[in-house]
Amino acid sequence: MDDPTPAVDSPKRAVPDDAVDVALAQSGDTQAFERLYRAHVSRVFSLARRMMGPETAEEATQDVFVRAWEKLGSFRGEAAFGTWLHRLAVNLLLSQRARRGRDLARHDPTEDALERRASRGTRPELAMDLETAIGRLPDGARQIFVLHDIEGYKHEEIGDSLGIAVGTSKAQLHRARMLLRSHLEPQTEDRIGP
Amino acid sequence: MTNRHPWMARLSEYVDGELPADERLALERHLETCADCRATVTQLGRVRDLAGTLADREPPRDLWPGIEARIGGAARVLPFGRRWTLTMPQLAAAAALMIVVGAGGAALALRGTGTPVAGPVAVVAPSGDPTVIPATAGAASYDQAVTSLGRVLTEHRDRLDPATVRVLEQSLQTIDRAIARAQEALATDPNDAYLSAHLAETMRQKLNLMRRAAALVAAS
Ligand SMILES: [Zn+2]
Repeated sequence: MDDPTPAVDSPKRAVPDDAVDVALAQSGDTQAFERLYRAHVSRVFSLARRMMGPETAEEATQDVFVRAWEKLGSFRGEAAFGTWLHRLAVNLLLSQRARRGRDLARHDPTEDALERRASRGTRPELAMDLETAIGRLPDGARQIFVLHDIEGYKHEEIGDSLGIAVGTSKAQLHRARMLLRSHLEPQTEDRIGP
Repeated sequence: MTNRHPWMARLSEYVDGELPADERLALERHLETCADCRATVTQLGRVRDLAGTLADREPPRDLWPGIEARIGGAARVLPFGRRWTLTMPQLAAAAALMIVVGAGGAALALRGTGTPVAGPVAVVAPSGDPTVIPATAGAASYDQAVTSLGRVLTEHRDRLDPATVRVLEQSLQTIDRAIARAQEALATDPNDAYLSAHLAETMRQKLNLMRRAAALVAAS
């Protein structure tokens, strides 16, 4: 039960058959591990970019795969490799964020920026803008929005991972959605209805 | 604001179907009379649905070289390509030969270790060859690696041709017997450095053989 992947399955992606490459990588085959990297990097990178921001996403992605290599011995194949990797990535990214949060005493202008953008109105490319808007969410709200609405985690799981109450997770999710809503759909009222 | 819209802070929970029945009913009574909250519910649902459709993106540059450098170039000495361009049966034959004629092989052969499989003698790897010493990934133990490889080889044996599977299994049996003998001998003679080295070498042979077979599976 060293496998750190209990109930959480990532609901969105199909799981490729990685078993052979996992076994080879466990025996020290870096070429097999490179194949695993190629198969999963966009998933991990997108998670890192959303949770950490674009500046540190590349390095964080590399950290995730280095850690996965080091931990490969504890992967027992009880879950899909992608699921195991994803959980490992979430845990590592959360701990990196926590460390960075302690290191930097920072003032967070993001919420103001979001409000300003909303009042100015936005372009119609919603999906593209959503990524940008997510990047501008305040840290806590962003992490929880990414984990819940994009990655499909439940509030109970998020609460456990972050060490916060379920109610806090729900409140932050609501805050994130409210901010994104005002950013994405400023003209909704005009457009609604036939 | 909260007085006029007492449920505003709970609308996401409502959208997600997480409110207890009594609260949900009370909220829905409010929605019947409040166009603002109805609009907000719609928007929150759209944000959530849109989030579920976001596509993953490749990183703007290849991150693998940096990872490879950090997980250790030493692990890269792998038996593929270069001097090892062999078919699986040849590899298996070579592995079996190495057990018998490799370090310590003579002693084991005298005790009746399996017959050497006929094969090109030229492919017998010199025991000092660094390519036969695989680095194991991180904390992955030898047993773990062998177990995982054994599992995928069993599961995907249909991807290999039957002759290859047969030779592979025979070779593994031979190797396992050699390992068992070495372990027995070591049990009575625990400090024998020569036996220890032979056991380690034989275990490496086994791992290498399984890795090559798994690589064939991966390439199939
Ligand atoms: Zn209302």
